[in-house]
Amino acid sequence: MKRKVAIIGGGQTVHASRRHDVNQGEMVNEAVRAALADGRMTMDDIDAVLLGNMEFFEGCHLTDCWLADATGAYGKPGLKITTGGTVGATTIVAGAHHIASGLFDRVLCIGFEKQEEGDSSAILSGVAHPLYGRSLAGAAVGYFAMMGASYMQAFGAREEHSAMVAVKARQNARKNPYAHLKLDITIQDVFDSKMLAYPIRLLDMCPTSNGACAMILADEKTARERCEKPVWIRATETAHNEQFELNWRDVTNTRPIFSRVCAEKLYKKLGVENPATFFDVFEVYEPATWAELVWYEDLGLCKRGEGFHLIEEGQTEINGPIPVNPSGGVLSTNCIGASAMLRIWEAALQIRNDAGEHQVPKDINWALTTAYGGTNWTVMTALSKKWEDS
Amino acid sequence: MEIEFVNIPMVVDVPYRFAAGSYMARFLIELRDNGKFFGIQCPSCGRVQMPPRIVCAACHIKNGEWIELSPTGTLMGFSIVHLPLTDPTTGLPHKTPYTYGIVRLDGAYSTIEHFIDVEPDIQKVRVGMRVRAILRPREERTGDLNDILHFAPIGEA
Ligand SMILES: [Zn+2]
Repeated sequence: MKRKVAIIGGGQTVHASRRHDVNQGEMVNEAVRAALADGRMTMDDIDAVLLGNMEFFEGCHLTDCWLADATGAYGKPGLKITTGGTVGATTIVAGAHHIASGLFDRVLCIGFEKQEEGDSSAILSGVAHPLYGRSLAGAAVGYFAMMGASYMQAFGAREEHSAMVAVKARQNARKNPYAHLKLDITIQDVFDSKMLAYPIRLLDMCPTSNGACAMILADEKTARERCEKPVWIRATETAHNEQFELNWRDVTNTRPIFSRVCAEKLYKKLGVENPATFFDVFEVYEPATWAELVWYEDLGLCKRGEGFHLIEEGQTEINGPIPVNPSGGVLSTNCIGASAMLRIWEAALQIRNDAGEHQVPKDINWALTTAYGGTNWTVMTALSKKWEDS
Repeated sequence: MEIEFVNIPMVVDVPYRFAAGSYMARFLIELRDNGKFFGIQCPSCGRVQMPPRIVCAACHIKNGEWIELSPTGTLMGFSIVHLPLTDPTTGLPHKTPYTYGIVRLDGAYSTIEHFIDVEPDIQKVRVGMRVRAILRPREERTGDLNDILHFAPIGEA
């Protein structure tokens, strides 16, 4: 990028299945105020506002326009971004590009979803091609179920391995005051939860959450002058799959799949040879337990087919050598338009040593985040504590 | 004091009419009228893609030859669905439990998702299983993927 870009502030709402006490604007404003307070700024300090959420989940188009008061965009330039589950990350990438280009110095990025106001499943069915597959669309659960069944058969993993991911996420969420599902559960509880689509049970899936996240990005001069603990955005990368080719659900597939392509490009930019030791913490987008195991492999944290050993050995626990999703992840909180941004914000909190009870107990210098869009593309970001350390 | 929350229920019912386009139309007409599956081959990388489409994404050149595919293939992934998911095209829930999978037709690069005619029992279904497309009778076919009733196992009781 032409100019350095840093995260200089951020905030989130509490995430819950019911927020009848606020409308969309009021909920978004909670996150905006938290971010401004964290960055010790007012809206006068902000040059532009970028807003992201899912298309029509709340039944409203042009949310950038009719939430302008609550977001702070009144009288300022701004954009609405909508790229599916990745949208929170895409909004950060767009903000970073606007600063790197020199167009703006301070950009407020917001992601939100108020899922209770609409029918997410009904709107999501519009992701499938109307003439090819929509009538049979198995929703996100169907896709991840096939991934899980294929994974077990190909690599010899068992249902208890995905249950371990479910337990890790909710136990980590108990340490995160903003998380939605703070559940004190065991592997047996996961097995006892309702089977949705084999091998996915209720506790293998993310919840339906309401919530918002807001982050302030800035150029180097602003960051060094105004922020004690700027977190640097060192690289971002996006990769898409091709339309109709959803055969990544067959985990033995060796063709260039979006997640692996994206990681490879990002690592090349940064000169990463061993991601498991290069990065100190990971926040990955795992709407289902099996997705986390596949991320371990697609990110190169282990060899193909060995992801389930990482969870079995406790390597990805908060206090393990490769901490993954100390926040509780998407499995614990999924306000979709905010979910990918929450990965980046939680990673930034880890680097700032501000995560509180779910802070990883080691020095965090580098963090990596991922996202899923329509489970068919991804946006990744790499963050660092210092600019000079590479 | 108890706070009263005000919520306004509303239904948005939007009709659409999608153009299939020349490639998808020919594919659906072949399926409906002749019970045949067609893919389209990229002249550069050779991948046979189904449904046929104008451009090969990997090469970004116009796809070339139409290739008739066998109705037989291999199961690449599956699930047994217990959640009564709604068919978005009818608004009615599918009857559960049912077996659902992705199939790669012989000779195709692409996979297709559909019902698998196997008892919803994980002991009776496996990745790698050979299957054949079973179509609805000609008079019931409408030019839609529902013209395929399901995929049935070959040579397995
Ligand atoms: Zn090609």
